Amino acid sequence: MTVTNPTAKRPKAARSKQSQTTTTAMLFLAPFLITTLIFFFYAFGRAIYYSFTDFNLFNTPKLIGIEPYRDVLADPSFRRALANSLIFAIVTTTLQTIFSLLMAVALNNKIRGIAFFRSAWYMPSITSSVVITLIFLWLFQRRGIANYLITQWQAYQPIVLTLLGVLIVVQIAQVLWERSRKLPAGWLDPALAAVSALIAIIVVLILNTTGLVSVREVAPYDYQYFADKWISIGGVRVLSIPLLVIIIQNTFTTVPTLMLFFLAGLQSIPGSLYEAADIDGATPFQKLMNVTVPMLRPVTFYVVTVGLIGTMQMFDQVAVIGSAAPQDTLITLAFYVYTNTFKNGAAPVNMASAAAIVLALIILSMVFVQRKFFVAPEAN
Amino acid sequence: MTAIQTERRAAASNHDAWLTRRRWARAGWLYVFMLVMSFFFLGPFLMGLLSSMKDNPNEYPPKVIIPQLTAQYVSRAYNLGIQGGNSGWNGGLTPGREVNFDVSVRSPADAPKDAPVVSLFPYQPVSLVAIARQAQAKDYAQLKTVQVSQTGDTRVYRTTVTYPSLTAQTGEVIRAKLATPDADVRATLPSGETVKVTLDTPAAQAKQYELSESQRVELVKAGENYYLRGPLFERTPMQVDVQRGQSIVNSTLPPSDKQNFDRSFAFRNITPGILGYTFNNYRRAFNETMDPKSGRSLFFSWVLNSFLYAFLRVAAAVIFCSLAGYALARFDFPGKNLIFLGAVLFVQMVPSQVNLVSNYVLLKDLGLLNIWGLWFNGLVAAGGVFLMKQFFEGMPKELEESASIDGAGPFTTFWKVMLPQAGPALIALAITQFQGAWNDFFWPLVLLRQNTDFTLTVGLSSFSQLYGGQGDYGLILAGAILSAIPVIIIFIIFQRYFVDTGSDSAVKG
Repeated sequence: MTVTNPTAKRPKAARSKQSQTTTTAMLFLAPFLITTLIFFFYAFGRAIYYSFTDFNLFNTPKLIGIEPYRDVLADPSFRRALANSLIFAIVTTTLQTIFSLLMAVALNNKIRGIAFFRSAWYMPSITSSVVITLIFLWLFQRRGIANYLITQWQAYQPIVLTLLGVLIVVQIAQVLWERSRKLPAGWLDPALAAVSALIAIIVVLILNTTGLVSVREVAPYDYQYFADKWISIGGVRVLSIPLLVIIIQNTFTTVPTLMLFFLAGLQSIPGSLYEAADIDGATPFQKLMNVTVPMLRPVTFYVVTVGLIGTMQMFDQVAVIGSAAPQDTLITLAFYVYTNTFKNGAAPVNMASAAAIVLALIILSMVFVQRKFFVAPEAN
Repeated sequence: MTAIQTERRAAASNHDAWLTRRRWARAGWLYVFMLVMSFFFLGPFLMGLLSSMKDNPNEYPPKVIIPQLTAQYVSRAYNLGIQGGNSGWNGGLTPGREVNFDVSVRSPADAPKDAPVVSLFPYQPVSLVAIARQAQAKDYAQLKTVQVSQTGDTRVYRTTVTYPSLTAQTGEVIRAKLATPDADVRATLPSGETVKVTLDTPAAQAKQYELSESQRVELVKAGENYYLRGPLFERTPMQVDVQRGQSIVNSTLPPSDKQNFDRSFAFRNITPGILGYTFNNYRRAFNETMDPKSGRSLFFSWVLNSFLYAFLRVAAAVIFCSLAGYALARFDFPGKNLIFLGAVLFVQMVPSQVNLVSNYVLLKDLGLLNIWGLWFNGLVAAGGVFLMKQFFEGMPKELEESASIDGAGPFTTFWKVMLPQAGPALIALAITQFQGAWNDFFWPLVLLRQNTDFTLTVGLSSFSQLYGGQGDYGLILAGAILSAIPVIIIFIIFQRYFVDTGSDSAVKG
């Protein structure tokens, strides 16, 4: 870009034109800069200041050094929040990146009605996190749809497993037969699989009417998702079940947005690369791993960055679920900051500020590390 | 020789047919997969929508076919609404009306043959705020149950609910609301005029101390006087019990609650109308969240607040973000890069929790803990500036050059030449800002302190917390569906902008 240097020797008219441009630009930027200064930079500075004081929302702040940071780091609930946030961010970002890539690949097919599917799949990301959290709370109740579906799966297990078994056997038989006729049939040949599926359905229907395979009687599956339950590794509580539900929910809502980024990236990959891969006889999986994934590195970088920034700040879901789940299982850094700011009585705002600064530092360093080590050369 | 050729050709065409078949099959599987995934993504909303109409959204096992959506029961609800309140949509029970409700009871040979015990029961809304006790249909209506037919061991009983008028006077019937009583009972007419209500019968006088302020009533205007016909009821809850050995097998509307091995049925409302039957939870969201001070529906206020906030955000973004984005894209001035890095990129990376305390204290000191403070706090979105900067950078320079040759200043150029060209980007900006504001939760939760000031998201989350996390899911689901509707409508209209915006800037940026 062309940087004009105001100190360079230039005619007077040009210099005054430059200063005029600067004034106009500043006028244009004024509303943005003023509000950013007040509500961001001033607030940011004040948060840093508070984090070194004994401020509790009602007293006059007095500097007390790094004590708030020491308090925060010693606070078990902060440590839990930190662990929860990091685990949530890592697991969710991984899941949403993989799923959104796979979905984008699926949606990149040129078939009729693709616009409908794209809109339908996009639905979860337009509605608010509050609405979706409330719906998920309802789905994952003790006697909710999630448990109902698991009960149904248990009840229909014999039928489903028989169906799958017959399908696989028939498919293998068909492929072997086709190969004996010198036709290059793959193990997952779609046309043969359709026939196999049909045969499997008929076989299962016959078995069902003769009573050989039938629905099992099972007790209703009765799992409490929002209780103090943990997945531990070596005695260390790693991931709580309520947080796992939120991971599922967050992946569900963010995948469609991220999918769009991948979709845009996919459309800019030249088709000739796939044609070349086809000539070399690459399988769809090889094409995905050797063409699509490397070509999407810049987009992946962006998606992972956005994902990390978003997931580290997760707040809405925890606040909506509130007291419905034990605090330890769900508390995140963002929620820790919020609860400490609005604690009844004297709120440890200094600790809240210190925690907020820690959160900001983690996010900034994550983005920095990302940019430093994982960015593809094309992205620059 | 020809034999070999024919064989080869046959093999080739065979191979072609095989490939075509494969292609079709692959498309078929793809469609199956797409449909399954669509169901997966729409499923929670569809289940929520369906269950928001049920009597009991926590029904287990959950059913997909519900009476609230079957033509037969909806039309019966409509008829009962007309019988009770002269309105097929709103239903209710009004003075001088009679409602017939049938119940079939099976009494096997060795069981008692008694008629069922039918009674009305009180219903007080379980709402966010305590509201004045409303008059109950059970204190005013009379019931009579007669057997109308018998097939085998099943007898059909018809219960007639009669609500006699409290006055013998005839004349023009007026709907009004009771006002604060002094020595007399008084009512506010729809015209706003407050009048004295005459209680001319012993029946009316007996009830005068039971009626509380803001109760909706019907009056008869005869001459100069207004006579009380009786209070209006939104619902008529009824209960039917039968003896041991008997069971209830059918009724005009299906029961809201069955107990005692089908010997006790409760009907939430036997004069529902369509709104009271199919959309009962939606009506409750509006009607049962009355603010006792203003008498206005809290839910309705939340909807208005959300719209106001979203509108303000969109208006501010369209003006200020495009100004700032234009300046960053098209002017050369010292510090431009710093502003872009610091005020646009950095701002987007720092979590909003950092600014929580400071902005809360600041807005509290300014007395702005309301929608205006909320708006002010997020006046110019850094993301919007980024979007507009990207857009203006892609526009041809010639436009501005020709404008400046014509002697237009920078502001005129921006306002008259560049902004009108920015249509698509502005629409994209507007809808992302609308969506962002509508779905915003963190700042509204922090800044809005009074429940009349809430936006929908904060209000909805308070629905779930008020019942100790257990939640009245009928109300929650109805509220959730209602609050999702505006963004869904906008999404359907402006679909391609949703699908285009984010991804474009991602790949460019």
